[in-house]
Amino acid sequence: MTKDGIQELLARCALGEEQAFSALYRTCAPKLFAVAVRITRRADWAEDVLQESFVNIWHHAQRYNPDKSAPMTWMTAIVRNRALDLLRRPRQADGSEEEYQAALAAIPDDTPGPAELLQRSTDARRLAECLQQLSEEQQRSITLAFFHGLSHGELAAHLGKPLGSVKTWIRRGLDRLRACLDGS
Amino acid sequence: MQYRDAELRNRLAAEYVLGTLSWRARRRFEAALRQNPGLRNAVADWERRLLPLAGSLPELNPPARVWRAIQVRLRHARAPHRWWDNLVLWRAAAGTAMLLLALALLLPPSQQEELPPRMVVVMEDLQNRTPAMTISWTPDGTGEKKIQIRVIGHAEMAPDTEWELWLLPDPEKPPVSLGLISTHEFQIMRVPAELNRHLDAAWGLAMSVEPKGGSPTGVPSGPVLYRGQCVKA
Repeated sequence: MTKDGIQELLARCALGEEQAFSALYRTCAPKLFAVAVRITRRADWAEDVLQESFVNIWHHAQRYNPDKSAPMTWMTAIVRNRALDLLRRPRQADGSEEEYQAALAAIPDDTPGPAELLQRSTDARRLAECLQQLSEEQQRSITLAFFHGLSHGELAAHLGKPLGSVKTWIRRGLDRLRACLDGS
Repeated sequence: MQYRDAELRNRLAAEYVLGTLSWRARRRFEAALRQNPGLRNAVADWERRLLPLAGSLPELNPPARVWRAIQVRLRHARAPHRWWDNLVLWRAAAGTAMLLLALALLLPPSQQEELPPRMVVVMEDLQNRTPAMTISWTPDGTGEKKIQIRVIGHAEMAPDTEWELWLLPDPEKPPVSLGLISTHEFQIMRVPAELNRHLDAAWGLAMSVEPKGGSPTGVPSGPVLYRGQCVKA
């Protein structure tokens, strides 16, 4: 579905139209679920994140402002923030810390790179071009953090590199991305 | 933390959107976000820049139960509005109305026969005696329990504080921490299996304001803002 199509569905949700909400879910849930699964690394958590996010999308649809962000960007931010909150939340003593560490160690390096992005929308294509201008380390740290919700410390452990280097790669990488994206 | 420096603001917003901030840093940043429009713009800019990346992931169909759960929650959320319209009734008989709200929340008339029993707590703002939050869960069963939290109205969390939820075993015994909650309107909290029995037998729940990371002492150290009694509906 096009950006305008999703925008229209959101506008109809704001008016309380349940059919539009159901169409919005059918259209966008598979994309958003993929985002939640990557970050939480647990199907049950990802399901909770998706559920809570859509309940919020329904209740806050009138707050969506098409002048400020694309509809998918707005919904993706809701899902990512939920997923990151769940992931970063101080863990309770129920053994989940070990499961989490195991899941962390098992992260495959299959994050989609610029090549996949190149086939997508114009926004994504521009981002892909800019990502390709980063050093390999910068690119890798940023995509790993983005797709898998890794913190600085987790990135350092996963890549086997010093924390300071990881922080610098990310900071410089983000600076260069901004210059590249805003410069065009 | 100083959020006025444009460069620092930009950097924190970037790391917030990228997702590398710790839980504490995220909470602190979000508290600042509510008060600082410049920071909100910086976040919006970074969302616009980075979030198109998410579009490159292969789609994944969620199981059908997610959509069913969403529908159930929207049905529940609609029910209380009828009661809310009637605030006069509320003030006239707050105690009774609380119970009615609890029932209305969980038992829309057409659904009464189908729903399993629920435990409901209407958390009351102790300062102005108005309902501030509803919390509910399905009693019985073993294993991890999910409790559903709904924050009513627009609650504000003071910067550098957290909200901690407490189980009150009975009015005489010390509270047991259930964990930290946010100001989000709809939340689900997972309660570990060992607290299951205590939860179902609890007298009530309370919410206190605590320093970052939660109470350092294991009992509420800050003011208790909300409290409510458990009702089996």
